[in-house]
Amino acid sequence: MAHSSHPGRIGTANVGSLGVDSRKLGVWTFIGSEALFFAALITTYLVFAPVNMARADAQNPKEYLDIWLTSVLAALLLASSLTMVLALAAVRRGDMKLFRVWLLATVGLGFSFLGGQVYEFTELYHHGATLSSSLFGTTFFVLTGFHGTHVLIGAIWLLSVFFKVQRYPDSPETVMDVELGGLYWHFVDLVWVVIFTVIYLI
Amino acid sequence: MAIAQGHVGHVSAPPATTVPAGLAGWLSTVDHKRIGIIYMLAAFVFFIIGGIEALLMRVQLGTPENTFLTPDFYNQLFTMHGTTMIFLAVMPMNVGLGNYVVPLMIGARDMAFPRLNAMSVWLFILGGLMLYFSFFAGGAPNVGWFAYAPLTQKPYSPTFGVDYWILGLLLTGVASIAGALNFIVTILNMRAPGLSLNRMPLFVWMQLIVGFILVFAFPALTVAQIELLFDRHFGTRFFVPSQGGDAVLWQHLFWFFGHPEVYILILPVMGIVSETLPTFSRKPIFGYAFVAFSGVAIGFLGFLVWAHHMFGVGLGPLANAFFAGASFLIAVPTGVKIFNWIATMYDGALSLTTSMLYSIGFIAMFIIGGLSGITLASPPVDLQQTDSYYVVAHLHYVLFGGSILGLFAGVFYWFPKVTGRMLDERLGKVQFWLMMISFNVTFFPMHIIGTDGMPRRIYTYESGMGWDLWNLVATVGAFLMAASVLLFLWNLMVSLRRGAPAGNDPWDAATLEWSVSSPPPPHNFDQIPVVHSRRPLWDHKYPEHAGDGHGASAPDPLVAGFEQPAIHLPSPTYHPLILGVGLTTLFFGILYSSIPPLSISLAVVGLALVAFAIVGWVRDSHKDSPYAAH
Amino acid sequence: MGTRHRPPVRRLLYAVLAFGALALAGCSTLPASTLDTYGDHARRIHELLVPIAWMALAVFLVVEGALIYTVLRYRRRAAGTMPRQVHGNTNVEIMWTIAPALIVVVVSVLTFRTQAANSQMPADALKIHAIGHQWWFEFRYPEQGIDGADLVTASDMYIPVGRPVTVQLEAADVMHNFWVPKLAGKTYMIPGKTNYLTFTAEQPGIYRAVCAEFCGEAHALMRFRVIALEPAEYDSWVAQHRVAPVIGGGGVLGGDPNRGKELFLNARKLCITCHVIEGTGAKGIIGPNLSYYGSRQTIAAGIMPYSPENLERWLKHGYEIKPGNLMSRVLTRDWIAANLTDQDIKDLVAYLDSMKVNVALPPAR
Ligand code: HEM
Ligand SMILES: [Cu+2]
Ligand SMILES: [Cu+2]
Repeated sequence: MAHSSHPGRIGTANVGSLGVDSRKLGVWTFIGSEALFFAALITTYLVFAPVNMARADAQNPKEYLDIWLTSVLAALLLASSLTMVLALAAVRRGDMKLFRVWLLATVGLGFSFLGGQVYEFTELYHHGATLSSSLFGTTFFVLTGFHGTHVLIGAIWLLSVFFKVQRYPDSPETVMDVELGGLYWHFVDLVWVVIFTVIYLI
Repeated sequence: MAIAQGHVGHVSAPPATTVPAGLAGWLSTVDHKRIGIIYMLAAFVFFIIGGIEALLMRVQLGTPENTFLTPDFYNQLFTMHGTTMIFLAVMPMNVGLGNYVVPLMIGARDMAFPRLNAMSVWLFILGGLMLYFSFFAGGAPNVGWFAYAPLTQKPYSPTFGVDYWILGLLLTGVASIAGALNFIVTILNMRAPGLSLNRMPLFVWMQLIVGFILVFAFPALTVAQIELLFDRHFGTRFFVPSQGGDAVLWQHLFWFFGHPEVYILILPVMGIVSETLPTFSRKPIFGYAFVAFSGVAIGFLGFLVWAHHMFGVGLGPLANAFFAGASFLIAVPTGVKIFNWIATMYDGALSLTTSMLYSIGFIAMFIIGGLSGITLASPPVDLQQTDSYYVVAHLHYVLFGGSILGLFAGVFYWFPKVTGRMLDERLGKVQFWLMMISFNVTFFPMHIIGTDGMPRRIYTYESGMGWDLWNLVATVGAFLMAASVLLFLWNLMVSLRRGAPAGNDPWDAATLEWSVSSPPPPHNFDQIPVVHSRRPLWDHKYPEHAGDGHGASAPDPLVAGFEQPAIHLPSPTYHPLILGVGLTTLFFGILYSSIPPLSISLAVVGLALVAFAIVGWVRDSHKDSPYAAH
Repeated sequence: MGTRHRPPVRRLLYAVLAFGALALAGCSTLPASTLDTYGDHARRIHELLVPIAWMALAVFLVVEGALIYTVLRYRRRAAGTMPRQVHGNTNVEIMWTIAPALIVVVVSVLTFRTQAANSQMPADALKIHAIGHQWWFEFRYPEQGIDGADLVTASDMYIPVGRPVTVQLEAADVMHNFWVPKLAGKTYMIPGKTNYLTFTAEQPGIYRAVCAEFCGEAHALMRFRVIALEPAEYDSWVAQHRVAPVIGGGGVLGGDPNRGKELFLNARKLCITCHVIEGTGAKGIIGPNLSYYGSRQTIAAGIMPYSPENLERWLKHGYEIKPGNLMSRVLTRDWIAANLTDQDIKDLVAYLDSMKVNVALPPAR
């Protein structure tokens, strides 16, 4: 049997019967679950979009949203995916200095995105779009807010990778740690692309 | 027995992980076996509580116009009973058995993520406790276990009950998703050499399928609950029809989760009887591939039938026809499994142990539940039967007659492995027959009163409808069922102390968990076995009856043919528990959002605990890395 | 060995059959039985259920029979017997995959036929608007009213026999569910959504009906009656109901209906904030319309038969009778003690009882 060369072992960093690292398999599964989470939120948004417009208290997203601001935000997030790729490449090469730069850049871009989102939310509130102002407000803030929360979680995840590498520079798991954080980060970015398309472009 | 133990001499001494004694050892454990035991004990406690709630309701319904309970308390009871049995009893019982048995069955030393495993069990218990705390905090939820909108909105449900329902279940939801992920990775990635997917025990197969169902179904419930939470606390209007919200959307989200959920409850049990029936028939399962793939088919189709819970909602004939068709279709793989089980027994050498009796009882009752399911899947018929006691009968035939009876089969089967002692068979058989009879006395009449027009979820009914006699019969039956459960409890306590010693392999079984001592050592296997067939232990014991029917007879599976990995167990840690407590505290903070000082302090404490736990967790994981220098 | 065990199996089967037959027979004349139908919608469902139930019974007997037979036949083999190690048989398995699939196809075809028949909505059907409230039913007849206003009633839904009725279902607060077991299957009443249910009563009768979806504290006490009348009788009911009620006949319970009317219309006594009585100053729309209340079948949404005595009880002790109901939350025990004497209540009863419609009522089914 092909498997016999991969004895099962417990703990982390374990290449098991499937030939994939267990943690990686775990993160992929988690991402699968998260994908359905966002699918349900996005479905809710899409269900209510026409209902919102048909109501007397409708708030037209086109009038409230600043497509330029969010385009910049989207660009920030996409750029962070790029720096994430560079960080992983650097750590694979063993270039720890560049790795640190790219990883911190990724986190920084993530936080700038969040800053932009906070700015966007406050602007919207000042213009009368709130959680309770309309179905648009209800669905928009919950969807993008939960996405923002996930960006925050991703950023904290990457920071924890950063500190772990600082603390245990010789850990043989470093590359995998970075790869997993990156995987999740790319997922969060990808969700933003979908949300951006659904809310801002269509 | 001499099997795996015989190899001890060849490998390094068992690991020297220090496990704290007593309670501390349990609170900090990361051992899948201990975690499994905690799951099962907690699930059993919740099962008893849910049962007491049921008895109270049965007393109230025993006679017409009874005034034993107030209406509102009755409404709290049926909500908590349903929620408890589904989320806090049957699900965690399945998870607990899986936790204990799956790594042993696949020749692994633990689950893939032992600390995540610990976090899951604590979050499940804390979520359950949080839900029950509502009784002392202004009243339990009183909206039914599926909490239809807009009754759950603040104006109609002003107490904190619904909030406890949301947040308590969100905690158990996190536990479930983390647990499912753990099962998936463990099963896919931790199998012993040679244990390919098509050699996996069927119990493991079913746990794998359930893992996937859970991971994909739970997010829908999570989203629905979050949206409801926002409606109640932060002024949104997802489910507020008067402001454009959509009451039916709740049902879609809920049942997109809810129907797969019923398979989450039944598939592991189908896995259990797919182990017990072959063992007690001394035959292999009939049609291994059919049983495994019908499980996959059920898991997949389960995502396409949710609206059969909504035939009366007015989705239109076309949609109803689609969901009816898909629901009929799902009967086919279910039927296949039943035929395969019967064929497994056919021409076997049956030993009617208590476990076997429960397995047979499971099949017998599940058939009835399946058939009443067929009538309910027909939209026109459903319109007469939905929301009536007929549905109550149906769901108890599949959940009690199905899941619970099957779980008893599993408990009687694996109890010797877990404790090293046998449960008393004589008591067990008495209990089985009492259970079978009282179960049918309780629930069969509900088909009749449902057909006679008795709606569900009513705390009282008038006399003269023809329901009085059957309701009284059901109430009597319920108390007999309680007696049967008490008998089991007695058996449990007596056998724990004085049960006959079990030995490694009391049932002459076929799978790997029976090759190690009872209870197994902390590291499970001194030597990881190499597997060559579906029945490794059987083939070892009966080489002349080995093989999986395709001619080839296999080499002895229990002789290691490769370099053994060093035994390495993760150290005990409190961080998963602390994380759970932190998250629960945070959730209490959210719940009391209307009282800012309380809310904020709870949230801050909660977040601090979470942060502390995560930092510690990262340190633990570094320390336990197989590569880390010690 | 096998023959020795057959008799008990057979006896068991007979027992099951006999029990099933008894159970079904027992049901048929009960007040809310779904097997004793008087409406086309419910009848078609029953006609669909019968073949499905027979098929289910056949499957039940075959599969349980096979199970019990196998268990009894193979339970006592000599210790240590090693049965033949059969791993499966693809042909057999394919067969028993196809067999249930065929049954399911038959059930589907039958189902879809009934579904099609039961979702017809003829254009000439009588239209009635049913609205679920916590915890009572309101019925509005848009085509029978005068001057564009609906004819409105509550808790008793009058329909003609032999003419299709399309009920438009809505809800005022939370979800409810409209169920008249002997006439039609149930359909949800959903706030923010409109559903339709069409059925024809095939015989005159007074039919039991309930809210079938849990809708809060007093859900168990949310009932109504459907009163199906011969067309001429129904037309007479409509004609009488279109005219505003007047006080007819003397007072019951020693009450004075005229004084009762004054009390009812006295804004300080609060009745008119919630109730309408056509042709008077009572224009509250929160509670049920009370025109012709003296002809109601029941009080407080089906929970007590109508009688002046029960009405008096309701006005005095509403809270005990129907926990959580809105009226008793406003007219609390203390409020009643302070604002209504026993005689006031008798007068109110006499007034409400004095407004009657004159129709010959069909038997309760
Ligand atoms: C003394 C003045 C009142 C009289 C005589 C009166 C009479 C009645 C009667 C006879 C019923 C039963 C109707 C049925 O059989 O369905 C009823 C029910 C009801 N009334 Fe009043 N009413 C009065 C004041 C009010 C007020 C002030 C309110 C509003 C706050 C109100 C709201 C209701 C409601 C909601 C129900 C339905 C209760 C349920 O079944 O859940 N009533 N009333
Ligand atoms: Cu379902
Ligand atoms: Cu109701």
